[in-house]
Amino acid sequence: MNPALEKQLNLLDYALSALRRRKGKNFGVMLVFAGVIFLVASFQFLSASLTATAESLLTEAPEIVVQKMSAGRQEAVPLAYLERLPTIPGIRVAVPRIWGYYFDETSGANYMVLAVDPGRMPRGDQLFKGIDGRLPEAGKGEVVLGPGVVRNLKLGGRRNFSLFRPDLSLIPLTVAGTFKPATELMTSDLIFTTPDTARDLFAIPAAAATDLCVYVANPGEISTIARKIAGLLPDTRVLTRPQISQTYKVVFGWRSGFASICLLAALAAFVILAWDKASGLSAEEKREIAILKVLGWQTGDILVLRFWESLTVSSLAYLLGCSAAYLHVFYLGGTLFRPILLGWSVIQPGLHLLPTVTGRDLLLIFILSVVPYLAATVIPAWRAAIVPPDAAVR
Amino acid sequence: MAANKLPLRPAAWLALLLLVLATLDVGFYQQSRWERLHWQDERPRLAIVTAALGLTDLCLATEARYTRNPAVSDPIAPFMDHPGSLEHFPSGSFWAYPARAAEDRQ
Repeated sequence: MNPALEKQLNLLDYALSALRRRKGKNFGVMLVFAGVIFLVASFQFLSASLTATAESLLTEAPEIVVQKMSAGRQEAVPLAYLERLPTIPGIRVAVPRIWGYYFDETSGANYMVLAVDPGRMPRGDQLFKGIDGRLPEAGKGEVVLGPGVVRNLKLGGRRNFSLFRPDLSLIPLTVAGTFKPATELMTSDLIFTTPDTARDLFAIPAAAATDLCVYVANPGEISTIARKIAGLLPDTRVLTRPQISQTYKVVFGWRSGFASICLLAALAAFVILAWDKASGLSAEEKREIAILKVLGWQTGDILVLRFWESLTVSSLAYLLGCSAAYLHVFYLGGTLFRPILLGWSVIQPGLHLLPTVTGRDLLLIFILSVVPYLAATVIPAWRAAIVPPDAAVR
Repeated sequence: MAANKLPLRPAAWLALLLLVLATLDVGFYQQSRWERLHWQDERPRLAIVTAALGLTDLCLATEARYTRNPAVSDPIAPFMDHPGSLEHFPSGSFWAYPARAAEDRQ
């Protein structure tokens, strides 16, 4: 065997034996370190998975959404605005959409009620593929329910139920179908119906809608046409598909949010603790270093020994932490983070997350955890190792 | 009679442990590949529903309108329900300020 490799293997053997001599302390440090890495990695995996899913699906979002603003709040947009849009060249179609939230006082759940003419929407002719049953028909008070709404309403075998209008009179509704469970990530809390039923439920005038979905002939002109719409209709807010996608990048981005700050603070606290422990070497450890130097070990050898010890502890903690995080996020649906992510939501979609672990994520976690730990333990060891052995022994 | 075997050196035990963990991770990698293939089967249905209904958001937190539909909600929604209103929904702490708000101000 190569002498240099044999030397490193011998040093590694000695380091592992040293770790074993203080196995209680070292095992405890490794478990705590693995726990911190588990939390950071879980958050990173969860964020990356949700961002990737949002990016993949929101390429199908409306190209432009036009909302009317009044006194800083969104309000119903007059359908008369539709007649002014064709003056802008490049607009293919503009579809009014009615949607809003319905608070179910019995269960405390919020439903999202949505009505649009699928015949005028992209891929509307294929909507039946996402539904068990059939599409709602106008004038019959029919609805298609999301999986979460079905669970929450506990309809059993019944097809009829009622919701309250704003004046507290009841509107009878009939279930024409349910969204397939595979679409739950987008439709869990959705009640899809026809525009006439949604207007009746929310008491929205026939000449108004909640917002307008605008589709353009050339997707390369989305931002240009959005600017023209904003100029033509100055009391509106115009959102584009790239802005909608960007929202999710920011929402789930690594730097965003309170949770990442808490987790990084925990990691920083651990590194500071490691530094503190390593810089205050026990008398026994100092004596061990002195004896090794008396026996002829060089400062460099002792540093390599400490490096192997720290690398073993931190690498095992890293592998254990990342593996546990993968299990937590992609097998258990991020159980620990669900209370933060979903909050007080009564309707909670089954989080079946798409595994999205990239080398970049793993490298980031490695750099944020293992490298500071190595620095925090090797540098104090170097300071102890340069002390003359006779001083250390005394 | 005692087994006449050479004990493994500590470095070999470490290598064995790392091998076990690496095997576990290779298993996870294979499972993630399978899940991604499965997702390719599911995605068309989700894409159809998203396009045909003009959906703009994932259905994650349904507790408040700005967490249910962050992409199309007012950027200052958490603070506009009544004077002095502070953000208090748990999921709000997970959600950052939308980038769109900065663009709106320009």
